[in-house]
Amino acid sequence: MSYGTSNEWFPYYEQAFSAGTFSYRTGNELPDYEQAFSDNGVLGMQASEQKAIQVTDLTVAYQDKPVLWDIDLDVPPGVLLAIVGPNGAGKTTLVKAILGLVRPAAGNVLIYDKPYEAQRRIVGYVPQRGSVDWDFPTSVLDVVTMGCYGALGWIRRPGRRERELAMQALEKVGMEAYTTRQISQLSGGQQQRVFLARALVQDATVYLMDEPFQGVDATTERAIVTLLQELRADGKTVVVVHHDLQTVTDYFDWVMLLNIRRIASGPVDEAFTSDNLRETYGGRLGFMKTDKSDV
Amino acid sequence: MEDLGIFNHFYTLIIVSAGAALLGTVSGALGSYAVLRRQSLLGDAISHAALPGIAIAFLLTGSKTPLILVLGAAIAGWLGTLLIMSIVRLTRIKYDSVLAIVLSTFFGFGLVLHTLIQRTGNANQAGLDTFLFGQAATMLESDVLTIGILGGIALIVMLIFWKELKLLVFDEGFAASIGFPIRTLDILLTSLLVVAIVLGLQAVGAVLMSAMLVAPAVAARQWTDRLRLMVFLAACFGALAGVSGTIISSTASRIPTGPTIVLCATAVVGFSIVFAPNRGLVWDRIRHQRNRRNLKMETSRN
Repeated sequence: MSYGTSNEWFPYYEQAFSAGTFSYRTGNELPDYEQAFSDNGVLGMQASEQKAIQVTDLTVAYQDKPVLWDIDLDVPPGVLLAIVGPNGAGKTTLVKAILGLVRPAAGNVLIYDKPYEAQRRIVGYVPQRGSVDWDFPTSVLDVVTMGCYGALGWIRRPGRRERELAMQALEKVGMEAYTTRQISQLSGGQQQRVFLARALVQDATVYLMDEPFQGVDATTERAIVTLLQELRADGKTVVVVHHDLQTVTDYFDWVMLLNIRRIASGPVDEAFTSDNLRETYGGRLGFMKTDKSDV
Repeated sequence: MEDLGIFNHFYTLIIVSAGAALLGTVSGALGSYAVLRRQSLLGDAISHAALPGIAIAFLLTGSKTPLILVLGAAIAGWLGTLLIMSIVRLTRIKYDSVLAIVLSTFFGFGLVLHTLIQRTGNANQAGLDTFLFGQAATMLESDVLTIGILGGIALIVMLIFWKELKLLVFDEGFAASIGFPIRTLDILLTSLLVVAIVLGLQAVGAVLMSAMLVAPAVAARQWTDRLRLMVFLAACFGALAGVSGTIISSTASRIPTGPTIVLCATAVVGFSIVFAPNRGLVWDRIRHQRNRRNLKMETSRN
């Protein structure tokens, strides 16, 4: 994978994609998957169009209790998608299931037509800020360098090249003045930007971000939005777990409304309707009524 | 004749100190990971769970060769840990309860076995009870060699997988997302802890061994904000506590080594908590007062 030079250090996704010629054991199974779907008519006309993320019949349960029920989601390449829904709707679980971090009870996930295991290198992940211990004894630069660990593989240590990539990413998020800072001395917004920089270092094609706006001030929020829109402009696909319904139409072009089941998904002007919102947030009664969700 | 006695005593002291120093180095370094992962109590569970392994190894082989006993302890400690991990994963019982249950069950079983061995009056059995509270003075050259080789291997493995272990401890979810098998890494890290613990059983004893993992790491964390330096300092503090504890316990008669070493380690912890820069209490106090004074000056100026 070539990182290019100075400003243009994001390779276009075609490059990144073709770099991983995945002559992988799953190679032969792929036509079968597609066959199965088109036989069922699930994909219909769109079967030929490539999807950045394709979630099919995904069900996840924690000890008998379903947290995601029969989710279908197609994310076309190059969109900025918000996943919204009330607390406990399964937003984080959906992201984790796409990343293979939780095992689904049923269903499957494809990233550019291949299972996640074959596509790790083109997927970047920003976990929830609260999921790690920020008192861990390490520096900002070190955390951002962790974005290279996947490309480095086992045992190989990050070197000068990796540190340069990390520095470039830190400049992109406006944190270059904090490289040697211990991570516990950062504000919430700064921590969030460090995590974003780490994801930039991953140099991915598809990004999954779990609440990157959580606990950040207005300035940082603005900066993050600009960054996300730059990523989209570069042809990346960005999926963001989002909480603030007010900003969905401003920040995103696609949206998914989720409350255990998928209520709706699609371009914001189509899917982000007051009916769908009521169904998503309107308590369990709305949720029990079936078939309305098939917009 | 008297000269020879002093020489012998001195020689024993050197051997025993070397063993304790090696032990402190290994357990201090590896203990850093346990502390950072908030698994300080796991060490306690492992060391208690190792006890029946020693007894069973002795019953099966009838030998007190350190390597065999250590192997028995390691297997039992490791089984105990796997049991803890699977109970947490498969049931709804909380982690701390599982720790307590496994710890006391294995420890109780170990005590029963040790009592049974003592009843048989086997002349060879004397010394098995040192594994409870530790008796560094019983360390022989071969024991020190065992600690050196096995502990050295554990440290080398830790250094080889430095990047992976750091990532596992800091951000497990991210590690999994980029393809590192976190369950395997978890088992690797736990196995390294098991090695550190069983090596220390003879000198420090099952009851207090976990302090050798936790205390140096907690002290080291006070002095630095870098993992590399923290692991290094923890190793140094561990060695320091090991040596000083051994020397103190061997000069006065009939003081068990384990508690003495642990008290030395605690002294290091206490000093670090109070006097370390930035994180220490004294420093905290000074900074607090300085801030207050500055604020007062600024507000009174207006």
